[in-house]
Amino acid sequence: MRTNNMTPEWMDSEVSTGTSIMAVEFDGGVVVGADSRTTTGSYIANRVTDKLTKVADYIYCCRSGSAADTQAVSDIVSYHLDFLQSETQEPPLVRTAAHLFKGMCYQYRDQLSAGIICAGWDKKDGGQVYSIPIGGMCVQQPFAIGGSGSTYIYGYVDSVFKTGMTQEECMKFVTNSLALAMMRDGSSGGVIRLAIITQKGVERKVIVGSDIPRFYEG
Amino acid sequence: MSIMSYNGGDVIAMMGKNCVAIACDRRFGIQAQTVSTDFDKIFEMGPKLFVGLPGLATDTQTVAQRLKFRLNLYTLRENRAMKPKTFMSVVSNLLYEKRFGPYFIEPVVAGLDPKTNEPFICSLDLIGCPMVTDDFVVSGTASEQMYGMCESLWQPDLGPDDLFETISQALMNAVDRDAVSGWGAKGYVIEADKVTIKTLKARMD
Repeated sequence: MRTNNMTPEWMDSEVSTGTSIMAVEFDGGVVVGADSRTTTGSYIANRVTDKLTKVADYIYCCRSGSAADTQAVSDIVSYHLDFLQSETQEPPLVRTAAHLFKGMCYQYRDQLSAGIICAGWDKKDGGQVYSIPIGGMCVQQPFAIGGSGSTYIYGYVDSVFKTGMTQEECMKFVTNSLALAMMRDGSSGGVIRLAIITQKGVERKVIVGSDIPRFYEG
Repeated sequence: MSIMSYNGGDVIAMMGKNCVAIACDRRFGIQAQTVSTDFDKIFEMGPKLFVGLPGLATDTQTVAQRLKFRLNLYTLRENRAMKPKTFMSVVSNLLYEKRFGPYFIEPVVAGLDPKTNEPFICSLDLIGCPMVTDDFVVSGTASEQMYGMCESLWQPDLGPDDLFETISQALMNAVDRDAVSGWGAKGYVIEADKVTIKTLKARMD
């Protein structure tokens, strides 16, 4: 109960991308996905947020946690990668981007609240997914889930994932997983945004309304 | 964490021409987690009298049960149905009894007078202060959003069908801007001769 406070609750709350985010690697690239809800307290400040942020032409990151922290960190990483690209005359490696994220998230771990999934494609190692959770560790995984909504789908993703999936199978996997997380998590919702990153480039997709899969609705 | 937003939930009631409507969302959650989507917050207290109890879910259940108890005893003694205005005073009394350790709900009452069928809506705060209006009342975690929707959409003397449409749009678009409300909605339209209950197709996120 908020007593003696004339302003609405959301005016004193930090902006958070509560979130469900996910990335899956396949032969030839990655599929990254996220929900689109940003909250201040329980008010939904933005219901069509884009949490898939480009840091380089073939490298995207999925952001969860404090909106301000993740935007600031990804802006800085994006700058570093752009500088690197000018110096080396080559597109940056995904592992480089991931390590830049890790460096900042670890060094400022006491001040930041940021959970990031960095994924993309490069010529050397193909599609890769790196998970950089709160605290600043960095680990490569065949697929990664993150954000507050991810807690509801650990069982689902573990039971459904298999190696050697095609691009379409990966897209379905991400869509179904995020739909389930959005259903259960109050801090996740809105539309499902996807980005498919391959040698050909980045294809963006949005899944809205009745196209979002529906499961048991208890 | 605020106690009133621990479970989340909202209720709206609106006045129409010779009818009233009351609607609620259907989520039961524990902070950010949604546990079930069939938790109604509106309870029938008489053939044309309904009360909405948004707030802490345990108190929603307890207050509904305690109110029904008091209403049943009244009906047995008086041998007639309770008027909505009287019911409002019963709710107010029950809540003020707990003035220094209150139930964490902010009720909404909607109904028609059993004899004259005059429409009535009101809301109360968690310690029983009643407020009677002739347009609409809102209560819950998305109250600010609901006020905005009602002020824009409501007009006087709406018929039952238009009133239902108006209250549905007001509730659904308000809860879609609240992270702890929604996951289904149910609306009741109360007229002199019938009560129509409709479950609304809503966003489940």
